[in-house]
Amino acid sequence: MIEAGTRLSTRTSGPWTTWSAAGRPDADPYTRAHTVRNGLLPLASTLEITYQAKADSRGGRLHSGCEYTIVMENLGGIWWSLAAFDGQGGLIPNAAERYAFNSANAMREPDGRAIITLARDARPGNWLPIGGSRVNLVLTVQDPAWAAAVYEGSIKDLPPIQRLACR
Amino acid sequence: MPKLPKWLREVGWRAVVGALLLGGIIHILATMAVPMASSGHAFARMHDSLPLNRMVVLPPPAPGKQPLPFLAPDALYAICRYDISVDLLLVTAPMARAGWTLSLHTPQGDNFYVMPAQETRRGTVSLTLVPSTERLGEFAATPRRVSAQETQVASPSWEGLVIVRAPIKGLAWRAETEAALSRASCTPVRRS
Repeated sequence: MIEAGTRLSTRTSGPWTTWSAAGRPDADPYTRAHTVRNGLLPLASTLEITYQAKADSRGGRLHSGCEYTIVMENLGGIWWSLAAFDGQGGLIPNAAERYAFNSANAMREPDGRAIITLARDARPGNWLPIGGSRVNLVLTVQDPAWAAAVYEGSIKDLPPIQRLACR
Repeated sequence: MPKLPKWLREVGWRAVVGALLLGGIIHILATMAVPMASSGHAFARMHDSLPLNRMVVLPPPAPGKQPLPFLAPDALYAICRYDISVDLLLVTAPMARAGWTLSLHTPQGDNFYVMPAQETRRGTVSLTLVPSTERLGEFAATPRRVSAQETQVASPSWEGLVIVRAPIKGLAWRAETEAALSRASCTPVRRS
């Protein structure tokens, strides 16, 4: 209950899960224990929501042997960030020294979408390198209205994580 | 139908219910004790590497050099470990672009104050961190008198962390972001 959470302490949308009261002084004991035990320091979910994904949209564990694509759309002017970590929350070493994209630095399509590709080897466009073995993705959305809706129990549509191919 | 062992048949339903209740109470108490008993929380991990009541700009996050797990890597951080048991603390931070935040955290990770930069509100944010009234009750000194313009934020704990997060727009902006972030400061202020 402290590691994975329950329906009372977390919200799930596709492969993404968030601790809806993370960082709040009035958070439930499970959320507080999860935050402390994992050495996290989240901003209060009155402002920002942090989602984590360990699997793709078909349920397969995210792995550096596969290639994935995530299309960031329908987020309007909201500030967001998408980062890749290893299974323990460490950054994945790569020659490009690239570990994340956010709404300010991701290249956009003519229609405003940002297509992010996760792969071990270089890809054109917004390439987010992955390596090691297991991969965790963290999507941060900074918007008080969004955060309030999630805290109240609303399920937001989040971008699917599509697996393209595996070696 | 399989026959239950004799010792199991002798266990009364009251004992079963009592054991379940006891297990539940222990589970709840253990969960609530984690924030107090754990030594692996973020504040403890960073305690020794941060000077007291002084803002420090951390190096950009890199593999093997992250101060905390899952910390957003597309940002620079300035952190001040504070202790307001003697002096108050004046915090000043630039809010240069969207995504910048100034946040205050207790040692248990509670984020009791956060100020985001907004398109319509940029510039420098300034506030004074003071003990909460409950804390002042334990403290003999009188609170500092303040002007109407000054923003005061009450900290529920004597110690904690001030964090200024500055997202990096791209490598070309890193130096500019670092320069802006270096203007963030923590300054002890005497009670008067």
